[in-house]
Amino acid sequence: MGTAYKVFAWLVALGVVVQAASMVWAVAGLGIWVDKDGGVLDKAAFESEETLFPEVAGFMIHGMNGMIIIPALAVIFLIVSFFAKVPGGIAWAAYVLLAVVVQVALGIYGHEGAIWGMLHGINAMILFSLAVYAGLRVSSVERRPVAPAAEHEPV
Amino acid sequence: MNSRLRLALACLATAALVVPLGWLWWSSLMPDDYSVMDMGYTDLGGGPRPSAASGHGAGAHGGPSGEKPVDVATLVEDGTGQADVRLDLTAREEAFTPASGREVSGYTLNGASPGPTLRATQGDLVEVRLTNENIPEGITLHWHGIDVPNAMDGVAGVTQDSVLEGETFTYRFVAEQAGTYWYHSHQVSHEQVRRGLLGAVVVEPAAPGTGPARAATGTGPNSAGQIVDVEALVHLYDGQRTLNGQVGDVEVPAEPGTTVRVRVINTDNGPMTTWVSGADYRLLAVDGTDVNAPGPVSDQALVVTAGGRADLAVVVPEDGARVELAGNAVVLGPAGVDVRAEPAPTSFVDLLTYGEPASTGLDPAEADRHFDYVIGRRPGFHDGRPGLWWTINGHLWPDVPMYTVAAGDVVTMRIQNDSGEVHPMHLHGHHALVLSRDGEPATGSPWWVDSLNVRDGESYEIAFLADNPGVWMDHCHNLKHAAEGLVAHLMYAGYTTSFEAGGHARNEPE
Repeated sequence: MGTAYKVFAWLVALGVVVQAASMVWAVAGLGIWVDKDGGVLDKAAFESEETLFPEVAGFMIHGMNGMIIIPALAVIFLIVSFFAKVPGGIAWAAYVLLAVVVQVALGIYGHEGAIWGMLHGINAMILFSLAVYAGLRVSSVERRPVAPAAEHEPV
Repeated sequence: MNSRLRLALACLATAALVVPLGWLWWSSLMPDDYSVMDMGYTDLGGGPRPSAASGHGAGAHGGPSGEKPVDVATLVEDGTGQADVRLDLTAREEAFTPASGREVSGYTLNGASPGPTLRATQGDLVEVRLTNENIPEGITLHWHGIDVPNAMDGVAGVTQDSVLEGETFTYRFVAEQAGTYWYHSHQVSHEQVRRGLLGAVVVEPAAPGTGPARAATGTGPNSAGQIVDVEALVHLYDGQRTLNGQVGDVEVPAEPGTTVRVRVINTDNGPMTTWVSGADYRLLAVDGTDVNAPGPVSDQALVVTAGGRADLAVVVPEDGARVELAGNAVVLGPAGVDVRAEPAPTSFVDLLTYGEPASTGLDPAEADRHFDYVIGRRPGFHDGRPGLWWTINGHLWPDVPMYTVAAGDVVTMRIQNDSGEVHPMHLHGHHALVLSRDGEPATGSPWWVDSLNVRDGESYEIAFLADNPGVWMDHCHNLKHAAEGLVAHLMYAGYTTSFEAGGHARNEPE
């Protein structure tokens, strides 16, 4: 289960990479579309679900991945941590899930206040770091002898 | 730790996570067939529970006579007489090319999208025979803004079954209100409207001389040379902005000094900003109702919400004028005139104060019921799909209020938007009077709407007379939002519908 724990930690981190990449891809495509093709983006175009420019898919990927896939991965990660017997693993999986919840909330509020969008970007770094660290530490804590467990034993 | 105990705890913790999520998911699943009558909870708006026999008397189109609820399918136009205006519409799924545009795959009516404009004179009995040639999902037509009898409202699964391939449905109604309206499908509407099942409706005033005479050609000046009347139906086809089905500007030849009535119809999902380059304008009508004493507007833009209409009057100047509409324009002036497009003004016409007050015949102080329609948003499941969904009064669809009234009630409603996005709210079958916005009372012309732009953070108070019995949708006309659950219904006590969402006709109104 230690391997599964590691895999899900990496998957969450990978999800964050996809988020950053898809968003910048889409915004770059939008800029080029407006700048080079004279594209007009208003509410009607925004809502039309039509392919105004190919990179618009980036917004959809960002939304689906961020609202469904990453939260699902984070929940599964926490469940895996219950069984994985990685010392301290549950706590780190919980931190990751907490950061995901905060990230989704900031993403939602970013539609109302741009400052929340800025924090959404910063929290993405935090979430990524947490997931990477949770995955990396598995090998080191598992390699360590049973010393941490010994703390619970009467001396 | 004992490994068995550890395993048990892990299982318990897993269950603690999975069971509530699973329950939320499971309880959000909708059956394949369901009736809107079973949806959500009854909201009486603080009024008494109306019995079938109560109310202020029968409505305009008949009323309940006994204990048994009246099926809305019976709420048709009275009389079987000869129609004054007849239109046969054949709907097809096919590829077509908007003028000056590129080919799109969508839907046509009589081979074109937008479909033919339905023209009638106030008081005419209109008959439209809609035939579905090859659209597998089925279709309907809803008469947006026209307060037709309920059975003619065209909402699949609520007022009729969707018209399946090879079938024909006949709509009959009296065009009682002069003004600018439009028609569109209300079956899988978020797809079918976007892809072209729509057209304009123009109802001229009955009394000759009281309204603008219309040019026979549709766009040129009329033979008398005074007034030109033109529709400007805006629609986005696969990213192409069109005006009356044409990509690019529409030229309307008109001599300087001519007054042109431009009937703006926003058929898209978002509010649209319109303004006039090179001239002042007056706002003659909103959502088919005349504005009282409309004054000249200069350097101000107007927001026409999704589904909404606005009739602008422009006196053509020597150098021509442009009515700017979502990237295209109606160009008014001598043939071939070149008018410079001005950037959008930063200030907007406020309909709360535009025009002069007049009697409305509606006394909100005597309201029989008051409803809240508070729009929010929260994470949850919508028919099994996780996501961020709209709420009405804190409840996720389908657990939404059924606004219940008796025929003859005066109703007030607060529409408040705390959801983070704008919502063009559309009430079927009725026109509502805007009373106030964010507590600021309306002091201009009576402002009657069927489609109201409610921006994030805004709160509107509206009033209407419940004078058209049946079961009526009250939903967001960003049709994607409707499909995401921003739909409630206004129901008259003593009426019911036998139509269902799903069913053999695979009704899917949103």
